[in-house]
Amino acid sequence: MSNAHAANKSVLWDWLTTVDHKKIGILYLVSGGFFFLVGGLEAVLIRIQLMNPEMTFLTGNLYNQVLTMHGTTMIFLAAMPIIFGFMNAVVPLQIGARDVAFPFVNSLGFWLFFFGGVLLNLSWFLGGAPDAGWTAYAPLSTTSTGHGVDFYVLGLQIAGAGTLMGGINFLVTIINMRAPGMTFMRMPLFTWTAFVTSGLILFAFPALTIGFFLLMFDRVFEANFFDANMGGNAIIWEHIFWIFGHPEVYILILPAFGIISEVVATFSRKRLFGYSAMVFATVLIGFLGFMVWAHHMFTVGLGPVANSIFAVATMAIAIPTGVKIFNWVFTMWGGKIRFTTANLFSVGFIPTFVMGGVTGVMLAAAPADYQYHDSYFVVAHFHYVIVGGLILGLFSGLYYWYPRMFGLMLNEALGKWNFWTFFIGFHLTFFPQHFLGLMGMPRRYFTYPEEFGLGSLNFISTIGAVFMTVGTIIFIINVVVTHAKGKKVSGDPWDGRTLEWAIPNPTPHYNFLQTPLVRGLDALWIEKMAGNKKMTPAEPVGDIHMPNNSILPLIMSLGFFIAGFGFIYYSSAGAPALIAIIVGLGIGLACMFLRSWIDDHGHHLHKEDLLKEDKGVDA
Amino acid sequence: MDVGERLTDQNFPESPEKATLEGKNKFLGFWLFLGGETVLFATLFGTYLGLRNSFGKGPEASEIFQLPMVFAATIILLTSSLTSVYAVLALKENRVKQMRRWFFITLLLGLSFLGLEIYEFVEYVHEGHTFTSGAFGSAFYTLVGFHGGHVLFGCLWITALLVRNSGRGLTLYNAPKYYLFALYWHFVDVVWVFIFTVVYLMGKVG
Amino acid sequence: MASNEQPNSVHHHSSLQKKIKLKQERRQHNVSFVMMILLTIVAFAAIASDAISNSVAILFIIVLAGVQVFFQLYIWMHLGHKGHEFPMWGIASGLLIALITVGTLVGLIW
Repeated sequence: MSNAHAANKSVLWDWLTTVDHKKIGILYLVSGGFFFLVGGLEAVLIRIQLMNPEMTFLTGNLYNQVLTMHGTTMIFLAAMPIIFGFMNAVVPLQIGARDVAFPFVNSLGFWLFFFGGVLLNLSWFLGGAPDAGWTAYAPLSTTSTGHGVDFYVLGLQIAGAGTLMGGINFLVTIINMRAPGMTFMRMPLFTWTAFVTSGLILFAFPALTIGFFLLMFDRVFEANFFDANMGGNAIIWEHIFWIFGHPEVYILILPAFGIISEVVATFSRKRLFGYSAMVFATVLIGFLGFMVWAHHMFTVGLGPVANSIFAVATMAIAIPTGVKIFNWVFTMWGGKIRFTTANLFSVGFIPTFVMGGVTGVMLAAAPADYQYHDSYFVVAHFHYVIVGGLILGLFSGLYYWYPRMFGLMLNEALGKWNFWTFFIGFHLTFFPQHFLGLMGMPRRYFTYPEEFGLGSLNFISTIGAVFMTVGTIIFIINVVVTHAKGKKVSGDPWDGRTLEWAIPNPTPHYNFLQTPLVRGLDALWIEKMAGNKKMTPAEPVGDIHMPNNSILPLIMSLGFFIAGFGFIYYSSAGAPALIAIIVGLGIGLACMFLRSWIDDHGHHLHKEDLLKEDKGVDA
Repeated sequence: MDVGERLTDQNFPESPEKATLEGKNKFLGFWLFLGGETVLFATLFGTYLGLRNSFGKGPEASEIFQLPMVFAATIILLTSSLTSVYAVLALKENRVKQMRRWFFITLLLGLSFLGLEIYEFVEYVHEGHTFTSGAFGSAFYTLVGFHGGHVLFGCLWITALLVRNSGRGLTLYNAPKYYLFALYWHFVDVVWVFIFTVVYLMGKVG
Repeated sequence: MASNEQPNSVHHHSSLQKKIKLKQERRQHNVSFVMMILLTIVAFAAIASDAISNSVAILFIIVLAGVQVFFQLYIWMHLGHKGHEFPMWGIASGLLIALITVGTLVGLIW
C-alpha cells in the first residue's frame, strides 16, 4: 500500500473513506449491479403475472408497485451508477490523469446515490413502494395514498444530487486534467461520450430536482402546483419530467455508444472509422436530445404545430445515430475481427439498437403515435434501446474493462454462454411485445382477458425473460469463478489502443508514474507502431500529489438520508419527523462546514518510494 | 511553493484563484454549477409564470405586492454585488484587510435583504397570501423562497470563510474560496433581477 | 513563482501595468453599478407610469433585465475575460435550456 495513512486502517474503512476514482468506480459498479438484480427480479415477477391471461400471481396495487419500482430502479439505480462506474474507472486513465478533478465530491456523489437508492427501496418494508409509474404523473402521484410516492421523491432527490455532482466532476476532469498532447480531437470516444453525457446531466438534472421539490411540496406541505381545484396544472409536471426525462435516455445511451466504439475498434485491430464524424454525431445527439422531449406528450393535446416541430426534431436524431451505426460497420470492414465476449456483445448491439431506432422513428410520427401511445409497442421500443442498446453495451464494457478494473479476466467460455442466452432471451422477450402493442395491449395493466388472443405472444415473452435470467445468472457464476481462480493478467490483455492499457496491472494508486505524452489518436497504439514498449513520458519521475481520504461524504449523505425519512413521514408523523429533518439537515450542513473548516492539502508520494514500488511491479 | 503559504506582494500571481490546478478546477466547476443553477431557476420561473394568475383562494398579486419594499430590497442586493466586486479587486491586489471589510459589508447587506424578505412574507401571510392559498401562492413562495435560501446559504458561507481565515493572509488555498463566493453572490443577484422583473413588476400589471 | 526570477525592473513594470488595469476595472465596475441602479429605476417607473401600455411595459422591463444580466456576467463576473471560454459555454448552454424551459411552461400549457 503506497498510502501510509491507509496502511494502518482496516480494509473496510479504506473503502468507506476512499476518494480514489478506481475504487469509487468499483463501488458504483457493485451497488449498481446489486440494484440491477433487484430490478431484474421485479421484471421477472411482472413477466410471470403476464404469462397467461387472467393470472392472479401479482395483481392490483402490488403490481403497480412492482412495475413502478422496476422502471425506477433500472434507470436511476442500475443503469446510471453502472455508467458512472465505467466513467470513474476508465475516463481518468484514458486521458492520462492521476485522479478526477474533485475526488472528495466524487465520493460524495457515490454515497448520495447509494443512500438515495437504499431509501427508495426501504419503501418495500415500510408500508409499500411507490405505485404511480416511474414517470409519477400528477395527479396520480399527488393523490397516491400511503408514503410510497414520498419514498420515490426523496430517494431520487438524494440520488439525483449525487448524479449532478458526478456530471460536473467529469466535465471539469475532462476539460482540465488531460495529459500533455491529449487534445479534444485525440480523446478516445468513450471519454467523448462521457463528456457529452456529463453535459446533459448538468443541464437536465436541475429540472428534475425542481420537479421533485414541487411534487414533495404538493404531497407533504399541501402546496397546489398540480391540483387543478386550486388553480394548479398537472401538465407542468409532465413538461418538467420530460425536459429531464428525454435527455436522460441520451445520458444513458451515449456512454454505451462510447463503449461500442472502443470495443469494435480494439477487436477489429483498426482505428475507429470516421472518428471526427463520430465525435460530431455524439455532440449533435446530445444537443438534439434536449429539443425533443414533447414527443412523450403527443397525445396530451399540445396542438398540431407543436407536435409537428417535435416530430421533425425527433426524426432528425436518426441522422447522427445512423452515422454512428455505419461507422461501426465500416470499422469492422476489412478488420482482423476477434469475436471475444466483449465484441460479441458489441456486434449484437448494432442490429438490436437499429431495431429500437426504427421503432423510435415510427413513434416520432405524431399521428401514428396516437395509436402506439401507452401500448406495448412503446414498451418494446424502449426496451430495445435500453436493454438491447445500453445493457448489451454495459455487458460489453464489463468484459472489456474487467481486467483493468479488477486485474482479472472473466472466463470467455462462460461469457459466450452469457451472451447467447441473454441475447436470444432479449429478442424473445421484447420482439413479440411490438405485436402485442399493435394488437392493442396497453402498458401497465396487470392482466388481459383470454378472448383478446394476447396469450401466446405473452407466453413467448415470458419464456424469453427466463432466458435473460439464465444469462444473468451465468454472468454471476462467471464473476464468482473468475475471482475464485484469481488468475492475474497483464496490463494490456487485449492488445489495446488507448491509454488505459498503458499501465501495469494492478493499476497503481497514482495511475501513471509519469504523465504520458500523447502523440495522436489511439495514443498507445501509436507508440506500439513506433516500436516503443511504453508511453513516452511527458515529465521526469517526481513527487506525486494525491488527495486525502475522508469519511465526511458518507456521514453527509447519511445526514440527508435521515432528513429524507423526516420529509417522507412529515405529513403523518408530525413532530418526530420534524426532528429527523432538523437532525439530518444539521448533520449534512455540519459536514459541509467541517469540509470548509479543515484545511486539506492532500499528501505527497515521494519519488524514492515510487521508484522502489515501480521496480516491484511487472509492467 | 506550498499552497498553504501566505502570499506576499512579491510572489503574488495575477489570478491567485486560478494559480493551482485545484483552483482552476474549482473555478471551472463552479461556473458549470452556475450553468446548471440557471436551468434550476428557469424551471422555477417557468412554473411560476404558468401559475401566476391561478390565485385560488388567495388575494391577487397586484393587490398585495408592495413595490417600495421590493425596490429597497433590489438596491440592497445590487449594492452587495458591488461590494463583493470591490472585495475581489482587493483580493487581486493582495489587500487582505480591505477584501475582508468589503466581504463583511456584503454579508451585512445580505442579512438585511433577508430581514426585509422575512418581513415581507409575514405581511403577505397576514393578508391571506400563503403557501397553500392557491397555485400562485405555492409558486410564489417556492421561487422567491429558493432565492432567499440561496442568500441565506451565501451568508453562512461567507461567515464561515471570514471566521476561518481571520488573521490569515491570502494563500493559493483560500483565494479560490473567496473568489467562488463572489461568483455565487453575483449569480444570486442575477436571479433577483429576474424575480423583481418577472414576479413583482409583472405581477403589479397582471 | 515565475515573477521571482524576473529582474526587478520588469517586475515593477508589470505590477504597475496591473495596477492601471485594476484601476480601469474599478471604474468599469462603478459605471455598471450606476447603470444597473438606473435600469432598475427605469423598470420600476415603466410599471408605475400609466403612459406605457402594460404589454409594452412587460416587454420593456424584460429587455432591461437582460441588459442587467449582461452587466453582471460580463463586467462583474468577468465572463468575457481570457480563460473563460468553458464557463462561457456552460452559461450559454444553461441559458439556452433555460429559455426553452420557460418558453414551454409559459406557452405549451393550458
